[in-house]
Amino acid sequence: MKMVPMVIVTGCLLIFSAVLFISMLLPWHTISEAPSAVVRARTPLEEEGRRIYQNNGCTFCHTQFVRPFDWGSGSERISQSGDYVLDVPHLVGTERWGPDLSQEGGLHPDDWHVAHFINPRFVRPESVMPNWEFLGMDQIRALIAYKQSLGFKLADHRMARQNFWKEKALEAFRAGPDENVRWLHDHVPAPWRELPNPYPTTDYRLNRGKRIYQGFCIGCHGPIGDGMGPAQPYLDPPPLNFTLLKGRGISGGILYYQIMNGITGTAMPFFKEELESEKIWSVGEYVAVYFIGETDSRRETVTIDIANEIADSPLKKEEE
Amino acid sequence: MQLLKVEPNGTAKAFLLSSAIWFVVGTTLGGIDATHLAAPELIDNIPFLVFGRLRPMHTNTVIFGFVGTSLMGAGFYLIPVMTRTVLYSERLGKLALWVWNLSILSGNVLLGLGYSQSREYAEWIWPVDIGILTAFALIFVNYLMTTLRRQEKILYVSVWYLFAALVFTWCFYFFGNAVWNPRTGSLAGLADANLAWFYGHGIIGLFMTPLAVAVAYYIVPIVSRAPLYSHSLSLIGFWTILVLYSHIGAHHIIQTPIPTWLKVVAITGSLSMLLPVATVLVNLWLTMRGRLGVLHANIAGKFVFAGLVWYALVCIAGPLQALPSVQRVTHLNNWVIAHSHLGVLGFAGFIGLAGIWLIIPRIIGRPLYEKRLADIQYWLLIFGLTAFHLVLSTAGLIQGNSWLNGEAIYRTLPMMHIYMVLRLFSGLFIIGAAYIGLYNLLRTLYWPGKIKEGLP
Repeated sequence: MKMVPMVIVTGCLLIFSAVLFISMLLPWHTISEAPSAVVRARTPLEEEGRRIYQNNGCTFCHTQFVRPFDWGSGSERISQSGDYVLDVPHLVGTERWGPDLSQEGGLHPDDWHVAHFINPRFVRPESVMPNWEFLGMDQIRALIAYKQSLGFKLADHRMARQNFWKEKALEAFRAGPDENVRWLHDHVPAPWRELPNPYPTTDYRLNRGKRIYQGFCIGCHGPIGDGMGPAQPYLDPPPLNFTLLKGRGISGGILYYQIMNGITGTAMPFFKEELESEKIWSVGEYVAVYFIGETDSRRETVTIDIANEIADSPLKKEEE
Repeated sequence: MQLLKVEPNGTAKAFLLSSAIWFVVGTTLGGIDATHLAAPELIDNIPFLVFGRLRPMHTNTVIFGFVGTSLMGAGFYLIPVMTRTVLYSERLGKLALWVWNLSILSGNVLLGLGYSQSREYAEWIWPVDIGILTAFALIFVNYLMTTLRRQEKILYVSVWYLFAALVFTWCFYFFGNAVWNPRTGSLAGLADANLAWFYGHGIIGLFMTPLAVAVAYYIVPIVSRAPLYSHSLSLIGFWTILVLYSHIGAHHIIQTPIPTWLKVVAITGSLSMLLPVATVLVNLWLTMRGRLGVLHANIAGKFVFAGLVWYALVCIAGPLQALPSVQRVTHLNNWVIAHSHLGVLGFAGFIGLAGIWLIIPRIIGRPLYEKRLADIQYWLLIFGLTAFHLVLSTAGLIQGNSWLNGEAIYRTLPMMHIYMVLRLFSGLFIIGAAYIGLYNLLRTLYWPGKIKEGLP
């Protein structure tokens, strides 16, 4: 083959045209443009938030698609092609330094997001996300509106629940500690309220609880459990002060239930996707022993003994 | 006009010097970015330097500024040499240089100010895209007109690759940035994700790769003083890379709900990539076989050889990473970052540096200011990039396997910390190498001092 400029340039253009047809034009016209059932139009504020998200490169650390084999990402819906029809440009993303955000809307109330944008470590102590305080509150508000729209109608549904319960939670908080604690307990199912922490109080368990407390709880509830962590000024209702709880009938089960499921409407998120059962018991025990000042650990119950902690094990004798 | 001053090989010299400057800028930006992941509040609340804005500044600076500028600058020297003529227009070349450099600079400043289209390597906004396209066109015209006035009948394989790179890159850049949509620079939905990666991989495969292969095809026979092994292999490697490398971009998004046929096209193409890569490597290997000592006696030969080794590694890993079963572990985490540094710095960057160190002494007719400094740069880069790659690959495997085991991303962050510190330290070797290279080049060009004996 005689390689002259004409042959090279023409050959390149022919090949490019063929590839362009197969890999760009065909997909462009065959990828479904029918919106999926959850899609709704964005409000102007949400659109503005999306532009801020785009301009600041949020997409380099957050994806917006859930894969069939993902778990622990906070979103329970595998992404569909029709979820993206309104996205110009796409913000699908290629790296995950933070969670996937395709269903982020309504997982947290707005005040949690404010604290998180001012300094992510206020609510997520081990986060590596930058502080976004420099954006100013107007842009942060727009960003939050966009984040709360992620998931479209599913997000709206979650946001409606957040707003509904926020009012109730505020009402309870303003009624004073007695009323607030009563309200919180009333929403824990009875079997959980009566359930003691099934594990013994050991240094091993308290150390684990402390490590988890520092990684997950300290930003709101503070290093001494008084609810005065760095996120406190941004949160309404403010984080619970554990030191008020002595003698109010806090069981291991109540702590476990609320750590597991969070308290919708408040900044308290659910931790069941990040912490396995034993870790939740451990951090509950740490809070009970150090901050509340009383624990029901291994109080006599009517349940079957837990397999690795038999009631009359040498460990129990050692404690005594 | 001083800026458009005409001097023999002035365009090539100015491009190569610009590249060395962009190398310093790009790696410094990358270093600052790395501190964010090791210590997020060390450089805090400075809008211009926040991670999300800095990352595209880093990637675009090293891809276009460092790698692209050095390799196209080498082209400005190689095309006249290989066609036995002089460059068509040094003035046009200088004009292209300024359009090119100002586009890169303004694109990055705008990213820092918060103007981004947020599509990887296509983040620059529309006016910058127009500048880049203009520069590509000016460079192409200059290459073409030079070639049309050639004294040499036969066009060497390097010339083919330089033309292919410019034609393909112009087309990829034009379509990939959706230039007909000035406000958004994109399409809608998953079609846009597909277009963005059609472009994104095009920049790797049809911009950096053919340019680097062109320079390697020139340097290997010249430096090892052996004729090219096979013209037929050159032909096969050339046409197959254009056909096979151009449509594999969708392998970046095979975990999203794009059509299955598109995934099949992308994965098949990715595996077929082994063909052109192996062809080029075999051809060059058989050219230099038995002459590695001669090759390594020359600093440019050293850089090219290392670049080809990185090329082999990155192109064996790449097709495998396109496989869905592999991608379950390697996608969305630091494994990919390790891989991309191997490709951009290890392969294309090393060969770009080889171009600088080979061509500059030839243009100015003096040896390098200090050959030892170029050697130090070489070893700093070899060590820095090897460490960087091992650290990030390890981090990526930890992330990927943890996630696949159901660990939340937040729980894996403390595991990453030590790797991000090590990554920063290995990056310092690379940054140091960039500064040493610029110093050596400036001294060679403007303040050589006592001329040392012997050519490099």
